[in-house]
Amino acid sequence: MQEDQFKQEERFWLLVSLRLAGEATPEELDELDAWLVRCPEMGVRMEMLHGLWESVPSDARRGGALNRHLQRLSNHLSAPALNYETTAVLEEEEEVSVGSSRWTRRLLWPALGIAAAIALVFLFVNVQEPRGEATRTAQNTVSTKRGSKSKIQLPDGSQVWLNADSRIIYDENFRGPFRQVQIIGEAYFDIAKDKDHPFIIHANSIDIKVLGTSLNIRSYNNEKNTETVLIRGSIEVTLRSSPDKKIILQPNEKLVVQNGKAIVVKNKPVLQKEEPAPVMTLGKAHLQEKDSTAMDILWVKNQLAFDKETLEDAARKIERWYDVKVTIKDERLKHTEYSAVFEDESLRQVMEALRMTGNFRYVISKKEITITP
Amino acid sequence: MQERIAFYEDMKAYNQLFELLSGGIFRFTYSLVKSQEVAEEIVSDVFIKMWQIRDRLPEIENLKVYLYTIARNFSFNYITKHYKNTMVSLDELDVEAVIELNGPVEMCISADLIQQIGRVIRQLPPQCRLIFQLVKEEGLKYKEVAAVLEISPLTVRNQLAIAVRKIGEMLPAYLQSGFKEINRFSHS
Repeated sequence: MQEDQFKQEERFWLLVSLRLAGEATPEELDELDAWLVRCPEMGVRMEMLHGLWESVPSDARRGGALNRHLQRLSNHLSAPALNYETTAVLEEEEEVSVGSSRWTRRLLWPALGIAAAIALVFLFVNVQEPRGEATRTAQNTVSTKRGSKSKIQLPDGSQVWLNADSRIIYDENFRGPFRQVQIIGEAYFDIAKDKDHPFIIHANSIDIKVLGTSLNIRSYNNEKNTETVLIRGSIEVTLRSSPDKKIILQPNEKLVVQNGKAIVVKNKPVLQKEEPAPVMTLGKAHLQEKDSTAMDILWVKNQLAFDKETLEDAARKIERWYDVKVTIKDERLKHTEYSAVFEDESLRQVMEALRMTGNFRYVISKKEITITP
Repeated sequence: MQERIAFYEDMKAYNQLFELLSGGIFRFTYSLVKSQEVAEEIVSDVFIKMWQIRDRLPEIENLKVYLYTIARNFSFNYITKHYKNTMVSLDELDVEAVIELNGPVEMCISADLIQQIGRVIRQLPPQCRLIFQLVKEEGLKYKEVAAVLEISPLTVRNQLAIAVRKIGEMLPAYLQSGFKEINRFSHS
């Protein structure tokens, strides 16, 4: 009998603890209430416990903990915050996948690799060109995988926001008369002014020369065009195919250039009589009405925007944004146009919004989305 | 907030997060290392670490658990180094629970009783005490405590029940100030 009572009491205190911790299920709460009706004296204890439980802990620290911490943080910031992977050009280019789980595991390797590579470069330079300048420079690659974005600061202080599935490559210390970077994918640049060292961005089919300005460039290898939108300042664009042609862009102008190896769509349905796309078009960037931000840079504000884009193009953005695969099973659907801006929406919400306007059906299974008429 | 820190390097969000979580992490760390100075340094290290890996923040499912876990690891590192212990286990560790007991005045809990409760809490096994602290003071869920201490949620649930029972059983079943109050608290 006594053991039975012990078990019962144990059960009672378990129920009380669950309630105090906010982990009790409705059934457990009912059970506790039934207990209290039977034994009101337990209720007194429980309420006292409840009172104790509610007492708020005080901060035991000396005041100004945040300021002391920020001081320590700023001391630490002189060390690089982002772990770039440095590889000599002699080596096969390796990339840092910012945000991947491989990242941590691989941290040790680069450290060894860098040491080895630097030793190699030194030997090479010393033996081959004893009096020449160190011409071999190390390259940094920072990349983002699908579904993630990143912001980096270049050695000259320029800021670069990298959209999903993008890569930026630059010489480690930006030596020489030009500051040069290569971009694959989409990036927004806010470039530090330095008249003596023009900043040059190499993209799929164009090179952009800038002094101090901000611009967005979108140059994915699996897309037809490279798009450049100037936000402020001025830039000079050179087509790789005809280097003597220079195009000067004004703020809020958008330049669309067909990529070098434009994708040729085979087995085009006959009904689709498309004019050959122009190699290059220059126009105004579309501005958002409420604050006249160019649609092209909304992604920097974490907004997914479609600006009169075909479902095919939108699908590619969705693939990168949410790290999924989108298949459109109907040719006609691919060419329907959409305009929309999403902020903090889930994949399902975005698909649902598109479905409502677009009149199609879709199935999401794991990371694959199939769109059918 | 994680997104804001990660993507826009939003210092305001970072500071807010520090104000929000550093107190609890400090108390937790202090319980383990038992030194104010060391605990403050560890908390600071935890938040420096968070800044350094801000790019990965959006991927972290439960930032609170993540930060508490880093704090635990840093504390264990400190203890191993400081006491030259090779192994640190929560059962052996002498945990100092930082638990506030300032019962509301209307509860008629005497200072004497508060002292007694404090004694009961100090007599709890270290792990049990720590679990009680994390759930009561820092408001962590069972699952979160389990993740931080690397034990099962069931252990958290059972240990907390033990702690609550030990304290509850030493409370008087009737309030000293009279029967009026009983009516207020009893469920009828």
